[in-house]
Amino acid sequence: MFFVLDVAIEAPPGITILFGPSGAGKSTLLDCIAGVLRPDEGCISAAGLVLYDSQRKINLRPNARSVAYVFQSLALFPHMTAEENVAYGLAALPRDERKLRATEIMKAFAVDKFRSRKPAEVSGGERQRIALARSLATRPRVLLLDEPLTGLDAHLKAAILDDLRTWNAAHRIPILYVTHSREEVSALGERVVAIDHGRVVSEGTPVEVLDAPRRKRIAQAAGFENLLNGSVADVREADGVMRVRLDGSQLEIEVPLGFSAVGHKVCVAVRAGDILLATQPPQGLSARNVMEGRIVAVEPRGFLTQLRVDCGTPFLVHVTPSAVRALELAPGQRVWLVLKTHSCHLVES
Amino acid sequence: MLIRSSLVLALLVSVVPPKAARAQEIRVAAASDLRFAMPELAAKFEKQTGIRVSVTYESSGSSFSQLQNGAPFDLFFSADMEYPRKLEAAGLAVPGTLCTYAVGRIVVWTPNGAKLDLPRQGLNALRDSSVQKIAIANPEYAPYGRAAIAALQKAGIYAQVKAKLVYGENISQAAQFVQSGNAQAGILAESIVKSSSMNDGDAWEIPLALYPPLEQAAVVLKSTANKEKAVSFLQFVKGGDGRAVLGKYGFHPEDVAPSRAGAT
Amino acid sequence: MTLEPLLLSIRLALVVSVILLAGGLPFAYWLAFSRWRGKFLLETVVALPLVLPPTVLGFYVLVAMGPQGPLGRFWQTFFGHGLAFTFEGLVIASVLYSLPFAVQPLVASFESVDRKLLDASAVLGAGRARTFLRVVLPLSIPGVVTAFVLSFAHTIGEFGVVLMVGGNLPGITRTISIAIYDQVQSLDYGQANRMALLLLIFSFVVLSVVYGFHRRVGRDLGRRLWTP
Repeated sequence: MFFVLDVAIEAPPGITILFGPSGAGKSTLLDCIAGVLRPDEGCISAAGLVLYDSQRKINLRPNARSVAYVFQSLALFPHMTAEENVAYGLAALPRDERKLRATEIMKAFAVDKFRSRKPAEVSGGERQRIALARSLATRPRVLLLDEPLTGLDAHLKAAILDDLRTWNAAHRIPILYVTHSREEVSALGERVVAIDHGRVVSEGTPVEVLDAPRRKRIAQAAGFENLLNGSVADVREADGVMRVRLDGSQLEIEVPLGFSAVGHKVCVAVRAGDILLATQPPQGLSARNVMEGRIVAVEPRGFLTQLRVDCGTPFLVHVTPSAVRALELAPGQRVWLVLKTHSCHLVES
Repeated sequence: MLIRSSLVLALLVSVVPPKAARAQEIRVAAASDLRFAMPELAAKFEKQTGIRVSVTYESSGSSFSQLQNGAPFDLFFSADMEYPRKLEAAGLAVPGTLCTYAVGRIVVWTPNGAKLDLPRQGLNALRDSSVQKIAIANPEYAPYGRAAIAALQKAGIYAQVKAKLVYGENISQAAQFVQSGNAQAGILAESIVKSSSMNDGDAWEIPLALYPPLEQAAVVLKSTANKEKAVSFLQFVKGGDGRAVLGKYGFHPEDVAPSRAGAT
Repeated sequence: MTLEPLLLSIRLALVVSVILLAGGLPFAYWLAFSRWRGKFLLETVVALPLVLPPTVLGFYVLVAMGPQGPLGRFWQTFFGHGLAFTFEGLVIASVLYSLPFAVQPLVASFESVDRKLLDASAVLGAGRARTFLRVVLPLSIPGVVTAFVLSFAHTIGEFGVVLMVGGNLPGITRTISIAIYDQVQSLDYGQANRMALLLLIFSFVVLSVVYGFHRRVGRDLGRRLWTP
């Protein structure tokens, strides 16, 4: 099975997020930067030092790159204490300085009090901190983080990220942060590079990358519950819109103008939360897409309720539980769905 | 993976049942020094009578232990008198079948190129510094080893060469030690040395006066199911044809004292 | 009954086990982590003593030790006498015979170390030697113990190879297994039984001490080996 990773990115000091679905190549990219995996061709440099250059036949070993890497599994040395783990990369320093630096970084990440414990003896969040401290103790040029905060509570995550930011304010190194969670992308709010199938798909701020996804898989990752396949029925350049006929039904919806011609196959991504629902045929609306359908299922999900509505094409719609009560929504009920043109995003399938 | 497959192979091999003994076959336990003479004896016998002789070669001590514990042999050709006598005394032999079939001799064997002057110096040549190791069969239980020690003692050089001695489990192994060059000389059985595989060296006959005669006796075992066939093979070996073959291979059936010949 | 054969066997087993560990560690490390395509050939060679009957192995070692053989010639040049029928000869033959019992547990142990730990060590600036000494080896202690114990036990019980190259010299090459065999051959069953019992008791004591200690250490290590 072949996988081709073909990317060109630049990461300035600060956090750059690598976002994309599983198997997109994010971890592979980190492996190449760290020197654990050797690319077939290309050039990697960090802070002016060339780490790898296929043309000049340069390939620094991982231990010469000064690149810090926190793996998803953390890879803490199970037979060593926290302090020994953190000090592992400092072997070149004299003993006193080593102890000083280790203590300094452990304090910065609040794991100083666990210094004599082994990794199995502390909690998940503390292990993540020890792993971070271990990587940063060596004052690397680059920090690579592979899904470092999976499985932690929101407030734990936030606390660790705060400490990381504080540390980086002083050191200003590029930090590449790999994640497939859109919450984390929004929370971190820094530069995002979206990767899929081994290629860079888009770059920019979280809003730019997440809310206007160009790729279907990014769209799924970014939380667009409705991904509708169809073909272009009409192109109206003057109005800046297109009409798309959805597969498997007579439904046509109006979407923003895209680079497509009539007959082209497209995929339209719509958030379930962007769809309005009415129990009576709406009148005088600005929205251009009104579709009649029937509720197939009502699925309560905590703070919102998900409705499956069949308009010839199935739709997922999110409404509040109070709306469900007020309108007495139930399966079998006839409803109308309202969809703004600009809530429809064209996505490559 | 390799270990697993070789284990499976070993299991299979051990589980394969041994060939069922056929009625037209007798099983013989023979001393190692008969290794070259016995096949010819067996072949001639089969040609004459159609009875197959299957032979197992071991040191006489090993055979004796096994026979004591019920090993399924019909005949035992030992390299000495003691073991067959013990079997008879223990009631494991068919009475009256114990007999001497040959007399063995020991020789000093050296590989080609050795510069020992045995014809003139006799066993004293073994004291030469070029001889670092002398291989003999283990005297604790091998008759030829005991004979070798006896000869060295009689020649008065045992004390001087004792440190050079190395012991093979049987005379075949002693021969191996010399042939591989690890021992520079060996006191071996003449019957081993007469075989073609040892023609890359010289054998010097040790004077008979230096050691008690190596009388080799055979006996039919009580547990045999083929008594008549076993007896007929024994008679064949002691008869004219058998003696001719034995003589060819370094045994001396002519030396067997008539009183020891035993009953037919 | 003399203790000499047992002491000789113990001496032989200790020397052989130490040599196998000293040589086996770097060799096993290479086998575990090398990516050379011909690696499987070496693995097969290492496993050969498992399938070869000991007497066959012993025979070829005997030939190799002879004046024409590679081992014999080398030894003769350096030491002025032959290699067969000496304690050193037994050591060499036993090292060959017990090789897989040392190398295979070591390789298995090294290979079971989480590769990510090795990557982490490299990324943190450690060279291969440091990674081996500080990460791989401490996490492979059970394998090292197993390798030592198996080599030791296997050598104590060795018979076929010693028979072929030893020459049965008391105090030099007459190990306890040979001594017991001699006694059986000489029909001295009483002595043989006594010696066999002595060997059995000794082996039982040594092995139970090692396994008892190992189990305790192993359990502790097992707890610590869990990574999140």
